[in-house]
Amino acid sequence: MTTTSAPARTPEPQEPPRPAGPPDRATGRRTAAAVAVRVNRRAVVVCVGAVLAVLVLALVTLALGRLGITPAELPAVLAGNGSKAQEWVLWSNRAPRIGVAVGAGAAFGVAGAIFQSVTRNPLGSPDVIGLGAGAAAGAAAATLVWPGVLPGPVGALVGAGVAVGLVLLGAGRGVKAPFRMVVVGIAVGAMALAFVQLALARATTEEAQVVAAWLNGSLLSRNGGHVRTIALALVVLLPLALTLTRRLQLVEMGDDAATALGVEPGRTRTLAIAVGVALTAAAVTVCGPVSFIALTAPQIARRLTRSTGPGMVAAACTGSALLVGADLLAQNAPWGVQYPVGVLTALLGGSYLAYLLVREWRKGTA
Amino acid sequence: MTTTVTAPRAPRTSARGSRSRAWLLAAGLLAALALLVLTCGLSVAVGAKSVPLGDVWSAWLHPDDGYTSAVVQSRLSRTALGVLAGAALAVSGAVIQGLTRNPLGDPGLLGVNAGASASVVLVTALSGGTAGRSVWAALPGAVVATVAVYLIGSGGPRGRATPVRLVLAGAAIAAVLTALVQAVTLADTEVFTTYRFWVIGSLAGRPEDTVGLVLPYVLAGLLLAALLTRGLNALALGDETATSLGLNAGRTRALAGASATVLAAASVAAVGPVAFVGLAVPLVVRSFTGSDHRWLLPYCALLGPVLLLAADVVGRVVARPGELMVGVVTAFVGAPFLVVAVRRGRVGL
Repeated sequence: MTTTSAPARTPEPQEPPRPAGPPDRATGRRTAAAVAVRVNRRAVVVCVGAVLAVLVLALVTLALGRLGITPAELPAVLAGNGSKAQEWVLWSNRAPRIGVAVGAGAAFGVAGAIFQSVTRNPLGSPDVIGLGAGAAAGAAAATLVWPGVLPGPVGALVGAGVAVGLVLLGAGRGVKAPFRMVVVGIAVGAMALAFVQLALARATTEEAQVVAAWLNGSLLSRNGGHVRTIALALVVLLPLALTLTRRLQLVEMGDDAATALGVEPGRTRTLAIAVGVALTAAAVTVCGPVSFIALTAPQIARRLTRSTGPGMVAAACTGSALLVGADLLAQNAPWGVQYPVGVLTALLGGSYLAYLLVREWRKGTA
Repeated sequence: MTTTVTAPRAPRTSARGSRSRAWLLAAGLLAALALLVLTCGLSVAVGAKSVPLGDVWSAWLHPDDGYTSAVVQSRLSRTALGVLAGAALAVSGAVIQGLTRNPLGDPGLLGVNAGASASVVLVTALSGGTAGRSVWAALPGAVVATVAVYLIGSGGPRGRATPVRLVLAGAAIAAVLTALVQAVTLADTEVFTTYRFWVIGSLAGRPEDTVGLVLPYVLAGLLLAALLTRGLNALALGDETATSLGLNAGRTRALAGASATVLAAASVAAVGPVAFVGLAVPLVVRSFTGSDHRWLLPYCALLGPVLLLAADVVGRVVARPGELMVGVVTAFVGAPFLVVAVRRGRVGL
């Protein structure tokens, strides 16, 4: 996209990590370390490009289809001077949908970046290790099986947490065996989906139809409440993820090196997994378990920025662009049927996964 | 090929010990047969309208026009489907495991079932009518998925298809093909209503003649697998040893792969993609037969249907008054066996 045509600038050499900020005399050291941020120029270019891509895709999404709003008409509608139909299309139909896509894409992207960093493996992402399925099972339990006990989002959070717990427990060696985690995650994901099916079988037909659509990962008929949910989650969790970036980068170098540099690997990992679980649960709550965004977004971001370490911001922007783009395709594709966006991401993302596997094995890393 | 499932048991030192073990295993086979008969009886008896086991017997022997008899007849064809599909899945899993020397072999896990169901749904959507119900509709997809998973799994110049690689490749292929099935069924309402339960794996609501359509293929697949038992045993020793024992390793592999694929395709044509039966049953059976395929395969053929029918009965009971598809129950019961297989540590993890 725009990023590849950006002026070729030599990327800043990756410097070995060191405590940011000047070594201070007295107490101010901690704040300085927390505030000073090393900025990789190439990453900035990539992020700006991804944000531009999101904007363009959003404008195209608004303009296409029946009752589309062209960019020329948009300012008038935004100012409240549009027709009734245009107001309705924008505010109760397309804007929430785009908002949820942007937010959920970012959440999936960051969650993927966190998990891939913690497991030090691109395959350790939440959708491959059964986390999305677990969140879906939790949400189904909270809304269909035992309604009224927990709100849906909390149910999703609990489900995702249980799934991660089961995967770590089943793998037995924690995050140090990512491939084991993946295989155990396939089992946990299968069980979670079976549980969702049980919930569906016991539900009434109307409830079941709504949940079945959501289960594929769908952005149909989103409303302002969904946007608020994902926005709130991002406001709380993104800063947490950002503060963890640097420490995760150190932990990636190995437990001994991280400990020597003053980072507790165990606590960093626990915290990071908690943030990743919460982000996945929030995204699954608003748009269902859309698969493979969490797998692909951090990988694409890493390729584009040519950086090591978990580039949270880049992953978030890439995730948003991917989900908005996939939804645009799902809404306006030539085959005449509106597919849930999750079907599309599974088709494309599954192929990407296959490619990733072949590439990794060519290199002999697995 | 770094891993072997288990080396075949060393020959017993005394002929007497080996003979008594053979008697024990033969007796066990009879017990498994009895268990299968019992499960079949339960499968006919239990449901929304319960029928006492004694009435099942009389209604089967002397069918009349009564309500009980009608219920029994409808459940009989369902039970027969379960027996066929269960045997096909379990033996297919066992053959794949022997063939790839991989304890994680399962037609569902390795994407073969997803390939078969994708081609069934595509054939139905394109040609309409009943063309999609034949095993021939399921076969092309199953073959393509098998080849694709094997190629991806052994990707790279050194080409080693380890268990984990095969499972991961299977997961990727299954994700793509399942999305394809979703896309087709969502676009075509007629296909959707026909395959709504089938895509998850269900014994219920299949047309009466399905048993007849599938039976020859299951029998052919089982026969081929039975002929290959010695070859599979030799393959477990490694390609070089097998060759020096006078075995054509490549041909045995190809034939075994064909048998596993036909069995998986037939099971999909019968009941839809059901995962984990082919994983769990051989895993359990191997714990008492060892990896001698002459015992392993018959046990799988008897106990696979037991698992599938038991799962079907459970599915009828837990979601009353509705019904839970058998594929859901086998996933819930069978998935933990994947964890067990990984934890045993013979998969190179």
